[in-house]
Formats: sequence, C-alpha cells, structure tokens
Amino acid sequence: MSSVLDYSEGHTSLHRANPVAKLALAICVCLAAFLSQSPLMLLGIIAFLVATGVYAGMLRRTLALLAGFSLLALLMFVVQTALVRQGTPLLLWVTDVGLQTGLRVALRLVAFAMPLVMMLSLTRLTDLANASVELLHVPYRYAFTITTALRFVPIFSDQMSKIVEAQTARGVEFDTPNPLRKLHLMLPLAAPLLISSVARADATALAAEERGFYLRRRSSSYKRYPLVATDALCVLPGLVLVVLGILF
Amino acid sequence: MPEAFSDDALISLERVSFSYEGQPRPAVRDLNFQVGRGEFLGVIGPSGSGKTTLASILSGAIPHHYAGEFCGVARVMGTDSCEVGLTDISRRLGSVLQDIDAQMVASNVEDEMLYGLENFGVPHEVIPSRVSGALRACGIEELARREIATLSGGQKQKLAIAAILALRPSIMVLDEPTAALDPASSRMVFETLRKLNAEEGITVVIIEQKVALLCEFCQRVAVMDEGRLAFLGSPREVFSHSRELRELGVDSPRVTRISNQLQALGLAGAADICLSVDEAEELISRIAGGSRVREGGEARPTPGEACLGSGGAPLLLLEDVRFSYPGGEEVLKGLSLELAPGELLAVVGENGAGKTTATKLMNGILKPSSGTVTIAGLDTRRARTSEIARRVSTLFQDPDRQICKESVVEEVAFSLRLLGVGETEALSRARDTVEHFGLPACAAPFSLGRGQRQIVALASVVVTNPQLLILDEPTSGLDYRECMVVMEAVEAAREQGCAVVMVCHDMEVVSDFATRMLVVDDGRAVADGLPHELFADEALMRRARVAAPQVLELSRRLSASVSRAFEGASEVSDVVSVTKGLVG
Repeated sequence: MSSVLDYSEGHTSLHRANPVAKLALAICVCLAAFLSQSPLMLLGIIAFLVATGVYAGMLRRTLALLAGFSLLALLMFVVQTALVRQGTPLLLWVTDVGLQTGLRVALRLVAFAMPLVMMLSLTRLTDLANASVELLHVPYRYAFTITTALRFVPIFSDQMSKIVEAQTARGVEFDTPNPLRKLHLMLPLAAPLLISSVARADATALAAEERGFYLRRRSSSYKRYPLVATDALCVLPGLVLVVLGILF
Repeated sequence: MPEAFSDDALISLERVSFSYEGQPRPAVRDLNFQVGRGEFLGVIGPSGSGKTTLASILSGAIPHHYAGEFCGVARVMGTDSCEVGLTDISRRLGSVLQDIDAQMVASNVEDEMLYGLENFGVPHEVIPSRVSGALRACGIEELARREIATLSGGQKQKLAIAAILALRPSIMVLDEPTAALDPASSRMVFETLRKLNAEEGITVVIIEQKVALLCEFCQRVAVMDEGRLAFLGSPREVFSHSRELRELGVDSPRVTRISNQLQALGLAGAADICLSVDEAEELISRIAGGSRVREGGEARPTPGEACLGSGGAPLLLLEDVRFSYPGGEEVLKGLSLELAPGELLAVVGENGAGKTTATKLMNGILKPSSGTVTIAGLDTRRARTSEIARRVSTLFQDPDRQICKESVVEEVAFSLRLLGVGETEALSRARDTVEHFGLPACAAPFSLGRGQRQIVALASVVVTNPQLLILDEPTSGLDYRECMVVMEAVEAAREQGCAVVMVCHDMEVVSDFATRMLVVDDGRAVADGLPHELFADEALMRRARVAAPQVLELSRRLSASVSRAFEGASEVSDVVSVTKGLVG
C-alpha cells in the first residue's frame, strides 16, 4: 500500500525543516499561484515545485503527482474553453480569450494543488500535528483529527481497492474499459466501505482515548519543534514567489 | 458460576450484565468472577458469546465508550469502573484491540510508542528508557525507526503490545491478538506475553480461539456461552469437558479429546487429562504397557492416498510463475503446480511467503510478470478477470469485502446474476442455498455476526458451482461450529468435482480436509505432497514456520516409541482405536 500522502523518507534540509515552516512555504506557493495571472509565472511555479521534488529525492512521486493533476487540469481547460465565449474564434469552439483563460485556470490548478500534497510527503503527520500545537497553538484535538483523517486516506483507498478486487473476483466487471460503467459499478460499494471505515475510525478513537488522548497538553510532546534560522531560509522562496505572483 | 471474592483480585466482576443500545438481548449477563494479581487468564467461546464485550467491560470501554444498559459492578484494582473515567482505568489497564490496524494512532513505530507516554505525562527524561525497554521486551528493538505500513502482521501485533507495555500497566487485556497470524508468529506473541507475565508480573487476560496455545500458556481458562460464563478453571479442568464444549461450539485440543475418549473407555483415569503431545505420548505409552517399541503392528493406510493420482486433466496449471508488485521486490519466484478436479490443495507457509499473491494470480486479479496461469484452458493473461469468475470463485478472508447487497438472499442471488442467470432462477437457487446454510434470508448481511457474514460470503461463492474454489483463510476468526459448516460445504463442493485451493494457518483444518499440501517459502514452492508426509518432515515444518497437527505429531512419536500401528493415524478416533486394540 503506497500513496502520494505517505511520508517520503530522506535527510535533506527540507525533511529536517520545522513542519510549520514547510506548511508556511506550501501556503506561500499556493498564494502565489492564486495571485498570479501570467501563464509563464504559473509555469515557473510548477517548475519550482518539480525542482523541489528533485532536491528532496522524490522526483518520481512529484512527476506522478504532476501527471495526476495535469489530467484534471486538462479537463478544466476544455471546460473553460467551452464556457468562455468572448474574443476571436480560433478553432472549433475555442476563442483566443477562452484559450488564455483555460490555460491560466489549468496551470493554476496544478500550481495550487501540488504544494500541500508535497509538503505532506516531506513531513510526518505526527510532527505536523505536534508542531502546529506547539507553535501555532492549534488545540490538540483538532490537530489530531486532521492528521488522523489524512492518515486514513491511503488506508481507506487500500480498503476500497480490496473491495473492488473481491467484487471483480466475483464477476463484477470492474475490468471494463468504460470508465462511466466502472463508476456506476462502484457506487454500491460505498456501503461496505462506509461501514468498515466508520468501525475503524471508532476503534482508533477508542485506542487513542485508552492511551490518554484527553490528558494531552501543549507541552506533552516528547519532541520539541523550535524555529531556527534555516527555517526562515525554507520560507524565503515562498515569500519571493508571493511577491512575483502579485507582480505577474 | 459464583465465586468467592478475594480482596487482592485485580479485576472483579459482580453480577455484570450489559446490553448494547438498541439490542433487545444482553450481550453478557450475570458475570461473576475475578482475576488475581499476576494471573494469565484465557477466554474462549463461540462467535457472539460475548467475549469482545467482556474485554470492553474489563478495559472500561463499557460503559464509557459504548452506549447501552450496564448492570452490576466491575472493579479494576479495587475501583468501580463506572465511578472513574476511561482514562483513569487506562492508567492501570492496557488494552489491545481486535483490529490491530485501528489500534495504531501514528504512522511510524517511534511515534506510536511515544503517544501514550506523552499523554500520560511520563517525565521526558525517562521516556527513552521506557520505549527501548518495551521494544526490547517484545523483541522488536530493530524496528524503532520503521514506518508502520512496512511491518508484518506479527510485528504490528508486537508493536501494539510494546506501546501498551511502555505505559507499565498492571493488567493487559488482549482481544484475539493472533487471529491473522501464522502459527509461529502466534506462538511468539504468546511467548512475549508469558515473559511479561512472569518477569514483569503483569496480569494478562487474553481472548483467543487457538485452544492449544491457551492450554499451554494460561493458568486459567474461562469459557463464554450466550453471554454467560459456562466454565472457569484450569485448562485441565475446563477441557476435561470436551463433549460439552463441542456442543457449545468450542473445540478442545485434539490430545485432550484423545485422553477424554480413553477415559470414557476406562483405559485412563479421571486425572489423566492431556494438554500437550508430551502428556498424551506418556499416557498412551503407559496404557499400552510401557515405552518399548512393539514390533509387528501394521502401518495404517494414510488419508489422502486415495486422492493421489486421480489422473484427470489439470484444471489449474501454473508454469514457472513469477510476480512482482509495481516498484516492489519479486513476491513469487517461479511457482509451478497442477491441480486436478476433486483435489483440495492446502497452501501453507509463514505470513508474507506469497500465498495470498498466488491465489490472486489464480483468480486473475493479478497477472503473472512471467510464466503462465491456465484455468480450464483459459490463459489468465489473455482473459478478463470477470470472465475468469465464470470458472473460479474466491472466498476472501474478510467477508465484508464481498458483501454489497441489502439482504442475504439478494447477496447470494447477485453472484448468479453476475453469471447471467435470470432474476427468477437466481432468486430461487439463492433461497435454496440460504436455507441449506440456515441463514436468515431477509436479514441485512451487515447486521449479522462475523461468523454468519463469513457463511453468507461462502454461500455466495458455492451457489455458482465453480470449477475452481479459492479460499483465503476460510476459518480464521470462526468458532468450531462455524468452521465445520464452512469446511463441510467446501468438502461437498470438492466431492462434486470442484478443485479447491485453500490458504490456511490452521493445521488441524489442513490435516482434516486437505488431500494435498503445498508449502510456500519466500515465493517458492518448497514441498508439494500428502499432508501427513510433509507434516512428518520436521526440518520442512521449521522452515515454513508451521507446527504439525497434534494428532499427527503424536502418532509419529507413538509409532516410534510404542507401536507401528500408530503410523499414519491422523484422527482422534484412529489413535484411540489403535490404543484400544493394543490393550485389548
């Protein structure tokens, strides 16, 4: 079982950086993508993200992420070109304004979605929860709930693929090449997934409570998460991108 | 069973009953017993007898986590569990849940170990020694830096125990901790617990279905039946009632059944209750007149021989099959086998040996990286899985992955409809099958107990009359009665010419039902032959981390030490009748 949300082992300064600094960097990159209007600037942000992936030793995962979001972006591009009717027609239904808008929306989607997922690949969820509690004063129960929900994503995804496997072995045509038919076949499987997911979430809540969940305080964490000078260096590129995003 | 209460009991239950919210019948009723300091208590019982509810009461999850009506008094170290919170109970009592993955609250070993220590305010300067001490006690120090997702089932189980142990509880309550483990890993978990019990003085309460382990490790055994305590006493006392236990749906160790039958024949005394192969060997040697080897006894015909060389064309053919998951190491490294109609092939080996991967190649869910898998002439690489499903049915270990309909009869009929059977005929055949298994036709499958859901999944599988039936741990988590229902249905399918492949960690089931056994180790078939012959190969059993069934081990020893007439005896009745013959 592996997913894009799994921690990617490594010893780079990005791995070692304070989780809050990494979170700030990711938010800055998202903000820059939101502010930027130029497709070139958006492409620059995406290039920065790929370079970060290379530095962190997770190029393959970064490219897989880029490919996944690019498919979604392509869909958004087509929808935008169909919706925008202003400007000069270029080809079929596509106008020049529609083309520019579609391109911008598609690139923004990729540049906006990648940073947070990459941050999660470079940060252990427990460290993120503990650092958020210590430095941002986030109440522990919220930090635990959010990080546990994120931890459950690959677990439930694995559960779903096992359910699909079992149904395929029964003869349900999940191996059909028709994606709409596949989606239609998957709908009835929501019930078993939901039932097992609720049971597991409840058992985890019980296990946490039995290990003192309600006693936890801000100072409980054995590990400490002080912000140091290198953390400022980690956030700096993000701030630069925000400024560039405002300018372009 | 009323019991005199002592003041130094760590746990005491007085007239405890509990009904879950919305349930008309109590899950447990009128429980009266106590657990003394330093005790190792095993709890066994059929499915739905209230074992997990008992564990929840002991851990304080009832009444603090699960809603319902609680009556009576449950005391943990003298404190009424209703008068303190769950957190306070957890300071003294550590609980390991049935679903080990749900127990994990972190994604790596170190954070999992730290979690409880941090929360309970253990001084930070002593945390490292607590963590390393607990990991060492469980024999998993080398895993400290690992991600939990990369651990095996046995390693996760030990981690769950270590995380609780680091909190230094006085009591540990474990709910079926070895359900998904191979025999060697199950024994390792029990050995770890015995060490903690003996060296750290931790009181252990363990719910378990593996009777041989309970007999070997527990000081007392409690048997639950329909929410009540049916028996409580030393393993010797409890398992002397093997006939009553079987009526409840609880199996006894095979050697205990042998000694009980010898008692009934007047060949053994009331005190001669055997719990291990050593004890049974000693008893039978004594009954048969000493431990000298008797010559002249005739070796018995061995089971399964009649099935060998059935001569039919192979239904399933694997030729030098190799398989790797994307980005992973090779899991299967050149597996070859042939399976004819009417054969029941048991696939055994340790967790992670590649057994489940092999079954997924047999039903077409996975395609081989190289080599070929052919089912009734159909190459799985060229056929779609849904097409293969017309010939092959699979019963998965977790029935909840298979169930997706609103009623039992619809669930069973769905399997037929997938094969193109018309609505009316599918429902009619489904009703017959549901009736055959004694299942409630209109009930929602998810409202049934775990064992019943497994039987629903089985009914959905056998209703299609497959040519090849694949079973992945079909008896895991089932009680004795349910186990027999499942295996009798499998046997009936086999007798009708269905070829069966069964991955199984229960060697008694393998010995009783398999006509052939394949031992898999590190992705390779290391042995393929008659079960009783392979079980006799001690080196092979060690390599596969498998223990031979008690009766076969006993008959092997007796044939060497008492008489050759014991050779090949594979059932309780065989050993008893040979012993009777030698005496008479």
